[in-house]
Amino acid sequence: MDMSYLDLLMAQQEEVTEAEGGGGVWVVADLANGTVAPVTLEALGAARTLADALGAYVYGVLLGDGVSDGSTALTTSLAQTLYQAGADGVRVADHPSLARFALEPYLAVLAGLFEAEQPEVVLFGATGAGQELAARLAQRLGGGLIEHVTAVRLDEATRTVEATFPIYGGEYSEIAACPEARPQFLTIEPRAFPAPFIDTYRQGEPTMIEVDPVEPAVRVLGPADDFEPPALPLAQAPVIVAAGRQAGDFELVHQLAAALGGRVAGDRGARDAGWIGPQQVVDVRGVTVAPQVYVAVGIRGDTFHDAAIAESKFIAAIHPDPDAPIFQVADLCLEAEPAEVLPALLEALEK
Amino acid sequence: MQIVVILGQVLDPSGIVVKGKAGRIFVNREEYVLQPADKCALEAALRIKDTTNAKVMALPRGPLPNDDVLRQALAMGADRAVYLTTRRVANPPYGDAVMADVLAAAVEKLGGADLLLTGATTLDTGQGQLGPRLAEALGWPQIVGAWQVASRRVSESAGGRVEAVLQRAGNYVTVEADLPAVVTVLPGALKPRYPDGVRLINVYRAEDAVERWDVSDLVDEASLQPLLEKRGQDFPPERELGVRLSGTPEEMAQALADALRERVSR
Repeated sequence: MDMSYLDLLMAQQEEVTEAEGGGGVWVVADLANGTVAPVTLEALGAARTLADALGAYVYGVLLGDGVSDGSTALTTSLAQTLYQAGADGVRVADHPSLARFALEPYLAVLAGLFEAEQPEVVLFGATGAGQELAARLAQRLGGGLIEHVTAVRLDEATRTVEATFPIYGGEYSEIAACPEARPQFLTIEPRAFPAPFIDTYRQGEPTMIEVDPVEPAVRVLGPADDFEPPALPLAQAPVIVAAGRQAGDFELVHQLAAALGGRVAGDRGARDAGWIGPQQVVDVRGVTVAPQVYVAVGIRGDTFHDAAIAESKFIAAIHPDPDAPIFQVADLCLEAEPAEVLPALLEALEK
Repeated sequence: MQIVVILGQVLDPSGIVVKGKAGRIFVNREEYVLQPADKCALEAALRIKDTTNAKVMALPRGPLPNDDVLRQALAMGADRAVYLTTRRVANPPYGDAVMADVLAAAVEKLGGADLLLTGATTLDTGQGQLGPRLAEALGWPQIVGAWQVASRRVSESAGGRVEAVLQRAGNYVTVEADLPAVVTVLPGALKPRYPDGVRLINVYRAEDAVERWDVSDLVDEASLQPLLEKRGQDFPPERELGVRLSGTPEEMAQALADALRERVSR
């Protein structure tokens, strides 16, 4: 069978053309280590879906220093990455004052751009920079803003985006929309949307934006060496071993944490027993965690504890009660007395 | 130095139960507490007050159903607190966009302020836009997500500065901005003090401990329209059940050890 026409078709470079006029779904790119951040690609995927339903175009905005110079491979690839992830047009602001995120210079560029272009929807990544920019822009342009969006759907009759965002850290979600004011600003939670298909045949010619340098109002003085953060690391610890009322010997929990290189935590029962401090309580009201591995030793698992660990990649639970709620959320369930399992577990990990 | 702290309240999550299957939220105990991040912002303001002659004034994030959190702020050490009243429905969901304009007008009525502090996020909705929106409405610089806040007087002419510790790319850095400025404080950044017992009794005994301002005196209330509207709720899918191990404790321990070793790189 002759398939050569397919090759011809595939090899045909698709030149993306832009439409005239305002509107459109805009994505402001986040750069991380000189590449486009994954959350930006995810936002482009979401923007593509919205734009296709709206009959609009997707535009990417790239801000930075040395992001446009066509002579280096890296820089063209940044803009091309946006095209490949679904953008129909890319605007690039390239200026030394944009080398690192600083609010006022970035804001000046974006406010000027969006006042001229009148976007319908603007997406940011829910990162520090994205959150700050989105809120300031929304206030300046009179738009609505929904932060930490985990899902979107479209009310096509009114061209309104209905966005889902978590309540109480994910206990449940609320859906909100901005029916009248435009633009509709959204900040997209990282890893909430699938990464889009990267179509390497898509490409385009980015448009440059003129940049008038603006002084940032907040000055970085230097590293805060003598600052000790309170309680933060538990939320970011990759491995957590948590104890509950049924843990039995708390010393074994400590040994397990040491063997796994993890942090010791517990539920409210462990705090009441005096095993851990209030900063180590894993609970929606205490610390919400999202480790790679969470080992629950003798934790029964109430709603607020289980919600606080819901983002964990892998949860192992050891509890004697077969009906313990923790087994509803755990990936690996050991229905046993921790005092019987832990010594054998420590021995097995030694090997 | 005049410090304004914006405080909100939140339904205590320990009083509610979320039932995803029923698609409902059951409120067992309706108790409102000060937003944790706002409480840290208040603590940051009070720490500045401890070392300088600053005055701390508390304003609400919106028209509240009652003034409890404001009385709590007074008991913790704030000098003034204002409760915003409205002739519209009891607790209109104005949203942060509208409240930014209202609060900016309130700050103007105060005759300006040097430092405006609020929480970087809310416990319930997780939205952190009020601080930046206020900064935009006032035209002030903003420092978002501070761990520590300190004020510094540079000279008579240059006025004061605010210093804050932020996390940038995994490291902690000190940043500064000229006053007036807006700073939002992270939840859990500071350990809030307990209210003073005698003050607590007195602020609840005194009817007029909290001042009352009407929103319509600040802005044209008829023109206030919330930008966002609620379109529903969504409940997380029931998580798929995990694997139940069987056998003797030793066999289970071995299986768990294998699973852990696979995932923990040491």
